[in-house]
Amino acid sequence: MRLAVEQGASADPIERALERARGVLPDQGPIGVFIHHNTLHAYQHLPFHEGVQAGAEALSARPYLSLRQFRDALASGRIDDRDVRREIALALGPRGPETILPGLTRAELWHQLMVTDADTDDAAGIEFTIRAGIARECANLTLWEACLARARRGPGLGLAERRRFRRHRDVLVALGAADPDVAVHGELIRLGSGFLDQGQAHAPLPGRHQGFLLAVTEFYSNGASAPLACRGAEADMCRVFERKEPASHVIRAILDDLGVRGDDLDAFLFATALALPGFTGMFARLERHPEEHRVEAPATLVDLVAVRLLLERPAIARACRELGVSASWPVLRTLVSPVPPRPAVLDASLLWGLASAAGLGAHEVAAMEDATLEALWAECRAFDDVRRRQLFQEAYERTYRGWVLDALAARRALPADDNEERPRAQFIFCIDEREESIRRAIEEQHPGYITFGAAGFFGVAIDYQGLYDREPAAHCPVVVTPGHEVHERPVYTDLGWHRLRQGARDRWHAWERRAASSSHTLSGGAGMSFLLGPLSAVKTFARVVAPRSSVLWGDRVLSRLAPLPNTRLSTLRPEDGARPAEGRKPVGFSLDESVDRVASVLTNLGLVRSFAPIVVVLGHGSTSLNNPHESAHDCGACGGRRGGANARLFADMANRPDVRDGVRKRGIDIPADTWFIGALHDTASDAVLYYDLETLPALHAAAFDEAWQALERARAENALERSRRFQDAPLDFDAAQALRHVEARSSHLAQPRPEYGHCTNSICIVGRRQLTRGLHLDRRAFLVSYDPAVDTNHTVLERILAAVGPVGAGISLEYYFSSVDNETFGCGTKLPHNVTGLIGVMNGHQSDLRTGLPLQMVELHEPMRLLLIVDATPEALLAVAGRQPEVAELVGNAWIQLVSVDPATGAMAVFERGRFEPYEPNPTLLPVVDRSREWHMRTREHVKPALVRSALPVSAGGQGLRPGATAPGALHA
Amino acid sequence: MSLVIRMALALAILSPLAGVAVVGVRVLLGDRQPGEATTARAIATGLIASVLASLAVLWVFLGITGQAIDGDIEFGDWLRIGDFVIPAVLRVDGISVTISVFASVLTALIARFSRTYLHKEPGFVRFFVLLGLFATGTQLVALAGALELFFAGWEIIGISSAFFIGFFHERGEPVRSSIRAFATYRFSDAGLLIATVVTLEFLGSARFSAFERVGTLEPTQATVLALLFLLSAMGKSAQLPFSGWLPRAMEGPTPSSALFYGAVSIHAGLFLLLRVWPVLEVSPVARAAGVAVGLATAVYAAAVVRVHTDAKGALAHATLAQVGLILAEICLGWTALALAHLVCHALLRLGQYLKAPNMIHDTHRLGHEPHGPSQLERWAPKLADRVYAASLHRLRLDDRIDVAFSPVLGVARLLERADRWVRRTLSLDGAAS
Repeated sequence: MRLAVEQGASADPIERALERARGVLPDQGPIGVFIHHNTLHAYQHLPFHEGVQAGAEALSARPYLSLRQFRDALASGRIDDRDVRREIALALGPRGPETILPGLTRAELWHQLMVTDADTDDAAGIEFTIRAGIARECANLTLWEACLARARRGPGLGLAERRRFRRHRDVLVALGAADPDVAVHGELIRLGSGFLDQGQAHAPLPGRHQGFLLAVTEFYSNGASAPLACRGAEADMCRVFERKEPASHVIRAILDDLGVRGDDLDAFLFATALALPGFTGMFARLERHPEEHRVEAPATLVDLVAVRLLLERPAIARACRELGVSASWPVLRTLVSPVPPRPAVLDASLLWGLASAAGLGAHEVAAMEDATLEALWAECRAFDDVRRRQLFQEAYERTYRGWVLDALAARRALPADDNEERPRAQFIFCIDEREESIRRAIEEQHPGYITFGAAGFFGVAIDYQGLYDREPAAHCPVVVTPGHEVHERPVYTDLGWHRLRQGARDRWHAWERRAASSSHTLSGGAGMSFLLGPLSAVKTFARVVAPRSSVLWGDRVLSRLAPLPNTRLSTLRPEDGARPAEGRKPVGFSLDESVDRVASVLTNLGLVRSFAPIVVVLGHGSTSLNNPHESAHDCGACGGRRGGANARLFADMANRPDVRDGVRKRGIDIPADTWFIGALHDTASDAVLYYDLETLPALHAAAFDEAWQALERARAENALERSRRFQDAPLDFDAAQALRHVEARSSHLAQPRPEYGHCTNSICIVGRRQLTRGLHLDRRAFLVSYDPAVDTNHTVLERILAAVGPVGAGISLEYYFSSVDNETFGCGTKLPHNVTGLIGVMNGHQSDLRTGLPLQMVELHEPMRLLLIVDATPEALLAVAGRQPEVAELVGNAWIQLVSVDPATGAMAVFERGRFEPYEPNPTLLPVVDRSREWHMRTREHVKPALVRSALPVSAGGQGLRPGATAPGALHA
Repeated sequence: MSLVIRMALALAILSPLAGVAVVGVRVLLGDRQPGEATTARAIATGLIASVLASLAVLWVFLGITGQAIDGDIEFGDWLRIGDFVIPAVLRVDGISVTISVFASVLTALIARFSRTYLHKEPGFVRFFVLLGLFATGTQLVALAGALELFFAGWEIIGISSAFFIGFFHERGEPVRSSIRAFATYRFSDAGLLIATVVTLEFLGSARFSAFERVGTLEPTQATVLALLFLLSAMGKSAQLPFSGWLPRAMEGPTPSSALFYGAVSIHAGLFLLLRVWPVLEVSPVARAAGVAVGLATAVYAAAVVRVHTDAKGALAHATLAQVGLILAEICLGWTALALAHLVCHALLRLGQYLKAPNMIHDTHRLGHEPHGPSQLERWAPKLADRVYAASLHRLRLDDRIDVAFSPVLGVARLLERADRWVRRTLSLDGAAS
């Protein structure tokens, strides 16, 4: 029988178990480039709730927020109780009104189990509060006595077995032995990080080019000793190295030896692979993506598991010997003691809650039949903890969805913009929800300021090499492979200076590198102490006491002494017919390609007529110090990098007369007096950096000045809106103070929260900005510009959804998981993090690699599935989803919530249970404020949508042009 | 003048403690924890007062306005039992003033850093209370004029250090590491305690000024005394064979690692030796042992740095290598060089620790250069592999210590079992169990 299994390679149980583990292990690459992804991507083929529950079960994680958190949300009004009842009714259907107890329907029972804490597992707490006379039950003590007596008679509710015994270690720990994993993991972490190290250590694991198993076994053959708890592993290691045994043989032999066979094998190996998920996941990830691993160290999951088992076997044997038990799995697992019975007081508490809800008296409880009670318990068991939280999650999302959709409907009911004047300035931002506030701050200044949202790589997928980058890096969504390279090059007149500067820079950096590494050596450390110690103390002092000024002055001095040379991008490639060398990508875009890119982005945006004199294109990125997760704050649409180069490239293309000619042939007439400017918005310091201003024609100077001032005011306003979230910034800041505050955050060595990142993401609106302009969305909405009027055959919609759906879902789901269980799916608090091997962080001196998002990034997050609202008919959406399998999977399996808004009528429909259900908005009177700061600066909490009058068009009651407000030079607070 | 310096000395030591007391009273009396602003303000006020006071001591010591003061400053008796007196005496001299200013400034700087770093951390109040306690401990060690007061400060440093390592006590590893550091301290501190008693016995007084009479001791007596001091210093400064706890001490939040294991606490053992230098001076055996231990630790730590893949662990061993060197310098008699080396080194490491999480950012900025093979790897690859293994496993120091102490633990387990048996047979646990 076993032989038969072994012969079929596809049916190899080891490979099968490891394959299953690969699906669950964290799929995060080296931390230098952080890309948001669905933490449970492997479960995306299942419906959301099934997937989340299965994934959480496999990892022993929490699938949702806890019941306590949900109940707090209910108490604070964040969840509407009507939505809870609605979810129960939807889940139960016709079974809801059935009677369980006299006076208690099943729906009511479920509601009781969800919103009250009658069903608790805190027996000591109940006993204490009753004795102290402060328990709920004290309201009716006779009933309590009856319940207690009845519960003692039985039958009991019973406890589900929550402990899981899949590995020897689980049983050994339950039996009171020292955890063998402590020693095994310690050794594995050291060996694994020595193997994976991307250049932090001077010397990596010797022989790592042979793969992990061979390198480790050779390491032991050379005389290394195993840790005390794993003594005896050395001999096996030597044997494996001598015979060059393949990893799967090693695993099979050890499993045999441990007595793990048949059905147990799968569970054992799966649990073994997941015992150290961070490192194991990194091995599995690098096995699939060797391009992310720059060193010659072929990582494979099977090698890691083999080494692990080689260490684990002696540790298990030793622990079993000390306890005097057999190490054979079939014997060992029978030794576990059964679960202790559930205390009757817990049953009594639940019974009291339900009896009170049903209006039963003490004698009725006392007289309750065993069968009735058992039936009641069966109902409670069937509606278990996870199911309760599942319904709560739905209600949590439904309440929020109602607020947003009602607000959108109310905004839509306002008269449309009838202004036909030429806009004064246009701003194209990334769709990122962090840009929602700065867009609003611009729009509040003048009705003639128009903003757009496009995926932050602005349609130009490139491998970009900046002036000082060593090699090109992809600046585009991860699913796209760029076909072009673009380089930043100094202009001719600065070539000499550039060479001089680069030489000096290289020497300085080499010196700095050498100083850093030699200060770790014996003689170098002594030398550096005397040479640099006092100097470094002065620097540290300045950086800690005056973080902002010290960085500012440093930059100022540097830019005086050694200013950056002027540069241009290699945007256009002459069409000389020369093919690039084999394996190299063309540098720059041909004319046709440029025309394509510009025309398609403008069409996507719906920006095909009435161009303003100045169009600013802003990519974004984030600067922070002492932050291993810095890259997670950069632009997701640029593959975890900064979007400045893309914005600059796009603007450069769009300014070329020949490109404009080509674009004109496609029906988009960019007037000659329109100028595009590329820029970079730093979402941490709220600085804006403009590119290529030297080439701005003097004719546009006044128009640019106006746009620049609008952005200056907007970024300060944006800083103010962000700083209300930081508890160490007072709420009565003015905008200039707030700007200084966020600048200090971005340059502070001690700042674990330079910015809150995507922490507030929850909505994505694809549609005309006219329909959301003037709505305060509290930095929670990805805003994608899309005009259904210019997209008759839905090709634009398809492009947008194919890009935005997966990226938005990736961000929202990563935040979801990292906030529902920060210890398992996220990486816990940042404070003890320790960068290891340049591939990730661990806690303290040795721990597993921590993947996911740190607590400081998610602490404000409300975990919900992305609410994707699209300005398109349900038919159009279904057609598009049918052509895009990934979008179809996300929507069909409800990993995002899709809402269709009919472009003509405004009718809304929510995609639920496989089809679009019409949504009837509740008529709401939105709060109206003049400026958005009046709305959000009152509180640090999330705020509901409101109308901001100054951003509304005049026709919709906006304030319109205030005299003098936008005159150049008239900066006002 | 004498009043000024007495006030300044008392303030330098007691003001951080006063800050701790203010916060402590609020914790004990209030029904919820004091807020971050209150806590940080109380402790910071204490620390800044301590900085100013230590600067004032420096001022007076240098004699900038008036007579320079140097030597013992009496504060009466700490404890008196019959004829036996423990004096409350502080000492002002070059070493004590240097260390006092240096430690108070760095602690205040770290407090400023932590105010931002620990914002919203549940252990915020605990962190600052420990920081204030630590400041008092270091000032006491720096300024003590006799071994008894010195020992009190020494223990305060030890206990706050162990609590900082176990700061994140909801996870297992920090707690295990904290206990290991604490146990190491207990073992080696016995050296200092015994040395104190022995000094009292031999010299009649445990004042540092009494060590001038050390020449009257027999060579063996002096050697025993010096070796006891050395043992104590080795534990506190993580010299071989006690080096195992140092990398584990990286479990705490970054600023506490910087202050303790980069700057102040790790150098405390060296300071002890500088303080009792007259004893070491007359004992060539102890000095030879110190040089051997220091150099061995330096070589060991430098080898471990080469293989360390994590930022903080590498820094810890880089620090340890220099501490080993300084120990050797002291034992060779180059005390002035050692003091300068100690201060400069602490200043360098403080900044490096605080910037340890910036590793990825720096690599992006500076680019990366692969390390070539070393001379050893080129000429003796087999030996290089063995060195690599030994370094990666840090000589398995912790395991060896566990083995060495296993008989003690065996006795402890035996006693525990006996105790349980007695309790069971006499039913001392009552009916509750």
